[in-house]
Amino acid sequence: MASPEFSLRVRNITKQYGDFVAVGELSFDAPRGVVYGLLGPNGAGKTTTLRMINNIIMPDTGSIELLGRLKPGPQAAKHIGYLPEERGLYPKMKVRETLAFFAALRGLGRKACHKQADLWLERLKLADWHNNNVQDLSKGMQQKVQFAAALIHDPELLILDEPWSGLDPINAEVLKDIVSAQKDAGKTILFSTHLMEQAEHLCDNVCIMAKGRKAVEGRLDVLKREAAAEGLVMLAFRSSEDEARARTDVLTQPMVESVRDERDGLLVQLAEGEESDKLLSELVAANLGIRRFERQQASLHQIFVSRVGAMADAEQEGRLAND
Amino acid sequence: MTRQAFIIARREFLERVRNKWFAIVTILGPIGMVAAIVLPAYLSVRSVQEGFHVQVLDQSERDVAGMMDIELDARGVAFRIEAVPPDTELAVLEGRIRDEKIDGYLIFPKDVLTGGKVMYRGDNATNMLVTKGLSSLVDFAIFRTRGKDMGLGELQITSLFQKVEFESKQTTGQGEATSGTASFVVGYAVMFVLYIAILLYGVAVLRSVIQEKNNRVVEIMVSSVRPISLMLGKVLGVGCVGLLQLTLWGLMAALIIGFREEVLGLFGIPGAGAFELPSLGAADFAIILIYFFLGYFFYAALYAAIGAMVNSEQEAQQAQTPVMLMLIIPVLCVQIVAGDPRGGVAEVLTQIPFASPVLMPMRYLLDAVSTAEILMSIGILLVSLIGAVVLAAKVYRVGILSYGKKPSFREVWSWIRS
Repeated sequence: MASPEFSLRVRNITKQYGDFVAVGELSFDAPRGVVYGLLGPNGAGKTTTLRMINNIIMPDTGSIELLGRLKPGPQAAKHIGYLPEERGLYPKMKVRETLAFFAALRGLGRKACHKQADLWLERLKLADWHNNNVQDLSKGMQQKVQFAAALIHDPELLILDEPWSGLDPINAEVLKDIVSAQKDAGKTILFSTHLMEQAEHLCDNVCIMAKGRKAVEGRLDVLKREAAAEGLVMLAFRSSEDEARARTDVLTQPMVESVRDERDGLLVQLAEGEESDKLLSELVAANLGIRRFERQQASLHQIFVSRVGAMADAEQEGRLAND
Repeated sequence: MTRQAFIIARREFLERVRNKWFAIVTILGPIGMVAAIVLPAYLSVRSVQEGFHVQVLDQSERDVAGMMDIELDARGVAFRIEAVPPDTELAVLEGRIRDEKIDGYLIFPKDVLTGGKVMYRGDNATNMLVTKGLSSLVDFAIFRTRGKDMGLGELQITSLFQKVEFESKQTTGQGEATSGTASFVVGYAVMFVLYIAILLYGVAVLRSVIQEKNNRVVEIMVSSVRPISLMLGKVLGVGCVGLLQLTLWGLMAALIIGFREEVLGLFGIPGAGAFELPSLGAADFAIILIYFFLGYFFYAALYAAIGAMVNSEQEAQQAQTPVMLMLIIPVLCVQIVAGDPRGGVAEVLTQIPFASPVLMPMRYLLDAVSTAEILMSIGILLVSLIGAVVLAAKVYRVGILSYGKKPSFREVWSWIRS
């Protein structure tokens, strides 16, 4: 397959149920080979979006382009691995047959199915269980079978819906390793989550959603840098006297918007338009013993809270204006 | 149908055939068939041997009861008839029934020879053989008494009431005549097996859909295949299990019928093997299997749609009632078809798509149907089947992904129209 620039392009998709807009005018692009996080609180429309990409439901309007040329459907499914949020397998089917079955549905030939099944059973240390019924396995092992079922046909694009929900720490690691291995192999991974910490470690790109709409989208490092420029500084002093003096003399100035106590110092939010250099020179001028002065990268969590919060505020205002 | 539908069908088929219940039911089925042949024969042998104990309260003063002693065996049922004094209290006789000393009692009124009503009271009056047998015994005794009153001699009376041999056979002028009862028994058995099989496997599809929905595997399935492929694959896979089971049963039934004298011999019932059964040929089996598969497909598609509409087996119980009724109504009409297999009602019923799978093979076995009629009914069934599949697929597509509230008729209608 010719390598398209984007593994997934979503253009203005909308899905409405009656008056309720589950997803509204959503657009985003996942470049090939990235780990892409679809983030948002519960009810943001993440699952609906992933279902539309997987052809489980159809968007009312808008278009989805997969791997440069395909529409969602059985043809595209051959190149997509999908782990739904609500996971399930046939309880009375043998483990190896389960994997071979899903491989066959996604277009693999008979021999390749069993070869791939054995490979994954080996890789996930389930080989001893290949002839057991799925229902005989522990929940953790069933989850591994599910990972394997999503990956068995070596998909170009791996889609995971809330993959960490219900995983024990060991399987969470297994899944992380799988994601890294897929990325190293040049595959694209799209996953949804409301756990910002997981996303922060894994994602190259993110799209944050709230109430069915996009709040922000882009490369994670760029988003963080932009947020940092908005003026967050972590401060720590040599002694508590220095800190007390700083609080009364410097941090009360108008260029400081807020000060928050953190475990390893004070997190200072500068007022809009203020530069951190100015704060530093003020501190030096006051002859304070400084142990730490660090421009903070915003965490994904902070970006999330500020963006989603801003959207909620805007909506509130909009509603008030309408009343 | 796509390759994916066959992959799904294969999975359904293997999972079911490998299940231990498949083996159990497949083997128990013929045991039931053996029981169906052996038990009635066995029971009739027993009741002939034991007989029923009936006392007679004769108020006619003409000893009509005495006339009954002559012929005690009637319609294969043995009776032990015993007169009691005419002044015996009814309460005493009732008491004997209560204590199970007798099975029942007859009362001959004073005017029994001039039209008075004979009454029987007993704990076996629901048994048709008993009442018919007793009735003919009473007839015989009264006719004899009247004959004597007319001055006929013993010889004349015997000659007058000599038993007339009577035989009935089923024929429509196309093939050899067969025993009427035997044809009916086989036709009825086939109808019943078809009804049970269609119901059993239709409900299996329903349950399979609900299970897939409940364990959420359906989401991966629908992301990989078109819902219609999923539905057809499922229906086809379960249907092949049904075909396999019916074929196995057919073979076993052929074996049992072929060796029925030996089988009955094992149970110590001699001579009962003389009971005549029409043999089933390859064409008969082909017709049975064709109608099973088409009928099953028709109903299974509807069952799949219902499975997609509901969230649990409890909900399914209610929702499947209309489909059940469609299947039960033809079974209730079986007497009409068997009673007059070439009548207009039978002709119409066997063209109706939801009734023909159950009723047509029976009519065919009764030799009462032309090739043109069969082709037409298969044609109508096929067209309706395609209609049912298209309709069911629409409901199925939306239904399998909806959880929670059971949809209203309006919602289902909007799924069909979309």
